[in-house]
Amino acid sequence: MKFQIEDVTVYFPYDNIYPEQYAYMVELKRALDAKGHCLLEMPTGTGKTIALLSLITSYALSKPSNPIKFIYCTRTVHEMEKTLSELKLLHNYQLQHLGPAAKILALGLSSRKNLCINPTVVSAENRDSVDAACRKLTASWVRELAAENPRIPTCSFFENYEKSASEAILPPGVYTLQDLRAYGKLKGWCPYFLARHMVQLANVVVYSYQYLLDPKVAGIISKEMQRESVVVFDEAHNIDNVCIEALSVSVRMQTLEGATRNINRMSQEIDRFKATDAGRLRAEYNRLVEGLALRGDLPASDAWLANPALPNDILKEAVPGNIRRAEHFLSVLRRLVQYIRGRLQTENVEKEGPVAFVASVNTQAGIDQKMLRFCYDRLHSLMLTLEISDTDEFLHIQTICDFATLVGTYTRGFSIIIEPFDERMPHIPDPVLQLCCHDASLAIKPVFERFQSVVITSGTLSPIDLYPRLLNFNPVVSRSFTMSLTRDCICPMVLTRGSDQLPVSTKYDLRSDPGVEKNYGKLLLEMVSVVPDGIVCFFVSYSYMDGIVNSWHETGLLKEIMQHKLVFIETQDVVETTLALDNYRKACDCGRGAVFFSVARGKVAEGIDFDRHYGRLVIMFGVPFQYTLSRILLARLEYLRDTFQIKEGDFLTFDALRQAAQCVGRVIRSKADYGMMIFADKRYSRHDKRSKLPGWILSHLRDAHLNLSTDMAAHIAREGIKEEGSQMIIKVAVLDLSIACDST
Amino acid sequence: MMNRDINGEGRKLNRGEEEEEEDEDEESGRGRDAWERAYADERSWESLQEDESGLLRPIDNKALHHAQYRRRLRTATTAGIQKGLIRYLYIVIDLSRAAGEMDYKPSRMVVVARQVEAFIREFFDQNPLSQIGLVTLKDGVAQCLTDLGGSPESHIKALMGKLECSGDSSLQNGLDLVHDLLNQIPSYGHREVLILYSALSTCDPGDIMETIQKCKGAKIRCSIVGLSAELYICKYLCQETGGLYSVALDEPHLKELVLEHAPPPPAIAEFAIANLIKMGFPQRAAEGVISICSCHKEAKFGGGYTCPRCKARVCELPTECRICGLTLVSSPHLARSYHHLFPITPFDDVSPSITNIPQKLPKSCFGCQQSLLNPGSLFFSTEIANFQKLD
Repeated sequence: MKFQIEDVTVYFPYDNIYPEQYAYMVELKRALDAKGHCLLEMPTGTGKTIALLSLITSYALSKPSNPIKFIYCTRTVHEMEKTLSELKLLHNYQLQHLGPAAKILALGLSSRKNLCINPTVVSAENRDSVDAACRKLTASWVRELAAENPRIPTCSFFENYEKSASEAILPPGVYTLQDLRAYGKLKGWCPYFLARHMVQLANVVVYSYQYLLDPKVAGIISKEMQRESVVVFDEAHNIDNVCIEALSVSVRMQTLEGATRNINRMSQEIDRFKATDAGRLRAEYNRLVEGLALRGDLPASDAWLANPALPNDILKEAVPGNIRRAEHFLSVLRRLVQYIRGRLQTENVEKEGPVAFVASVNTQAGIDQKMLRFCYDRLHSLMLTLEISDTDEFLHIQTICDFATLVGTYTRGFSIIIEPFDERMPHIPDPVLQLCCHDASLAIKPVFERFQSVVITSGTLSPIDLYPRLLNFNPVVSRSFTMSLTRDCICPMVLTRGSDQLPVSTKYDLRSDPGVEKNYGKLLLEMVSVVPDGIVCFFVSYSYMDGIVNSWHETGLLKEIMQHKLVFIETQDVVETTLALDNYRKACDCGRGAVFFSVARGKVAEGIDFDRHYGRLVIMFGVPFQYTLSRILLARLEYLRDTFQIKEGDFLTFDALRQAAQCVGRVIRSKADYGMMIFADKRYSRHDKRSKLPGWILSHLRDAHLNLSTDMAAHIAREGIKEEGSQMIIKVAVLDLSIACDST
Repeated sequence: MMNRDINGEGRKLNRGEEEEEEDEDEESGRGRDAWERAYADERSWESLQEDESGLLRPIDNKALHHAQYRRRLRTATTAGIQKGLIRYLYIVIDLSRAAGEMDYKPSRMVVVARQVEAFIREFFDQNPLSQIGLVTLKDGVAQCLTDLGGSPESHIKALMGKLECSGDSSLQNGLDLVHDLLNQIPSYGHREVLILYSALSTCDPGDIMETIQKCKGAKIRCSIVGLSAELYICKYLCQETGGLYSVALDEPHLKELVLEHAPPPPAIAEFAIANLIKMGFPQRAAEGVISICSCHKEAKFGGGYTCPRCKARVCELPTECRICGLTLVSSPHLARSYHHLFPITPFDDVSPSITNIPQKLPKSCFGCQQSLLNPGSLFFSTEIANFQKLD
């Protein structure tokens, strides 16, 4: 359908539009008009993605004189593909209505792992080894050698791509990753480099958060994006954590050992070069003396991860003299590794700021701040000079240099925490040195500054006033939309008591109480006997889940549950979890019924949908607070309090509740779906906790469902599920009937 | 004459449906126990009013109108559609552990049995040429309770004697059994299964998807009425085989849903192969004649019918002759079945303005002979050109 929002004609590929989608578009349009940033919360299943795509592309079409670029960031490859296929639909619709004028180029960009079509390269098991395998075939020195010696293997796709040079462009259209691969195969061009090249020219780019937020990646991919861009972060409820992770580094014993190996290997290489090609090292030295830009004229295949510090903070100076020579730099690295190793041997937990740390490095290892700062670039230059292409082997030394550069660059918003063992397992020594970033606004600041509009949107952004403070920006629009529903397709409940009327909670003093464990077990048992098909349970942590499942097993509760439904458990092993999920789905499909035990903040809670019969009920056992004794969290809380005046309690509750909302939101992915949600903890009934849930859950939470016991909840679930199911069938039947009538 | 006959039948049917649909309006006010609901929410006494002659009548006809509207929709869509009149239906009754639950009073099992009884009677009333068989699911196995047959009494008796529940239920075993049983029936018959499913899961020995495809291949139409909640596998089964899936909320709703399966479903073109069937129209034997009955194997006095081919005596129609295997029916049976193919057209609503002009109206309803002078909705049948009262 086609309609007008103020001066923009919006092309929407479906015949019907929900009122909230329209409201969403109107707000979005205002933000674009104001060239400002905005924050929009709209529940999942209301067609957020298509509303976004449709408005922004239509907006761009309506202003042909001033083309805007549209950058869409997703969290996973799966979401990327989904977004692109929606866009394809929309694009076809626009083509129908506008003809060739609507032609755009839209493509997804992902790592080599997802785009490579060279069978020998893509067979490598992880991302780093695919990257390295690609480099082995495409690095400039390899290709130079291959030109003389044809027996050295190169990648034919890359060679073809290079040969066609300026002709290698994508015709307009929408390309999913699969389409890119297919097109690459057809033309014999490398899809990865083609996509990277085309990103600069495309109207719509869909890629992962890291490509904008992680300075290492953003530096090479998103460097040349124009200012007139609209950047969208979808599913952005965890964006602060992504920002923080992008600037955090942790160093373990294995890293140090690996780094030592890397250093030894490099020094051997240096010796070899000295013997055979001393000129090369000298050339590098001269280049560094002149302070030449490192990456200015490098071919695309040689470019690797950019500096981990943010672009504004990188010094535009020549590398300091005492690390210009390769041997000297290596000895600096050796001393740094040695120093960190010494620090890791501590028996106590240590916490200090970057300034103190740098000072102590300076006195003990004789490495000053400036040298630390240049570690990363210097390493990069050295590795290029030494023509090292198996970069996956050198991850350890890269981590160390990342760390050194960050610690040398930033003095605020970071802290260094050294823990000799894991708090939860004090008997196993596992020393770790963490450089943690506390300030999510650091990584996202360049994005806000560079682009004219940044849209942050998700199903759960409540409370919506906290995000601007965490990310330190001023949105021109911040709104939360609720779902318009003709019936109650979600039924949230707060369960506070077991059937024996004793409170249930995962609060520290209550969580190991056998009574609480029994009550939780009884709750699940009641539910499996009244809810059909799939049930998903979320626990607060792996260790809590292990404990409670064990105790259910011992008391025989688990066996009773298994009589009704099969039980599957998420583990920390990805392969095992995938298998469990597959079988869970199978059990739901064939009518046996199944329960999936999962962990809030786990992989499943973040990325897997339990829609339709895969999740008729979700139970959130407890409030998923972060592990509050964690030093990193404590340091971050302190920083937030001092810098942004956010109270510790507020932040913790906010964080826990957004996780809980995220978990329960897994069951409902569209309006035609229905599901029940149980928040099983007495703390949810308190106003300060409850009010932080997103509006679309709150609006369905009736007062009568705020303080339930197990038997009442079971009764409500039984009635509710039956009614929903029955209504759904009637709805469909009546609809069919009236459609049939209309057509006759 | 024939015309009148069909119409008379039609009225009776319509009335039956109306009763079912009135029950649907009780759906408001969930959240209470069923018995409470009837009193607290409906306040049925308030919606009545006494007229001058002391009769009680409803104030508000909205519910009735709604039901009427839905029925009109339905008849409008189903008229002129080919239907299978000779149906071979297996009713599968879930007697697993879940059937013992007490959310339906006194228990699901008893309620189901009651509804099945009502259904069997209604079914034979509307489909005199069809046959029913009963299968139960219990302890993970399916058991054939009665073979296909045309006698309501024998089925009901067999079912009532077997009402006990235990173990899990297996949809796959049930379907497998029914599939084997229905394989033997002649090709002109329509194969159907109606499953009354209490359980929330199915415990199957193998891959149920294969069984569903097998049923689809054998052109068995599977319908399910659930008693607990919407189950994906049931929905899938019904979708695949072209059946209806519904979930009952309470007993009246269950009754309605079950009885929806009594009129024959539209026949899918490729399933319905036109075929000629040999049938006998037996004469009613003279009163007072003693003969040996072929169905009860004993001497019977009076009544009964005589098979036109082998002259054996049978007690009831329709049936299959025990001796020569001829299908025995009477002509009203055929006429009754015929009614499904050519339903009477919906009546027109008469506007109140006409009712104000008494001379235009006949004095009494054509159907029930009641006076038309009392206010109330009127309907006009175009076919018999006469006024009829609503309800």
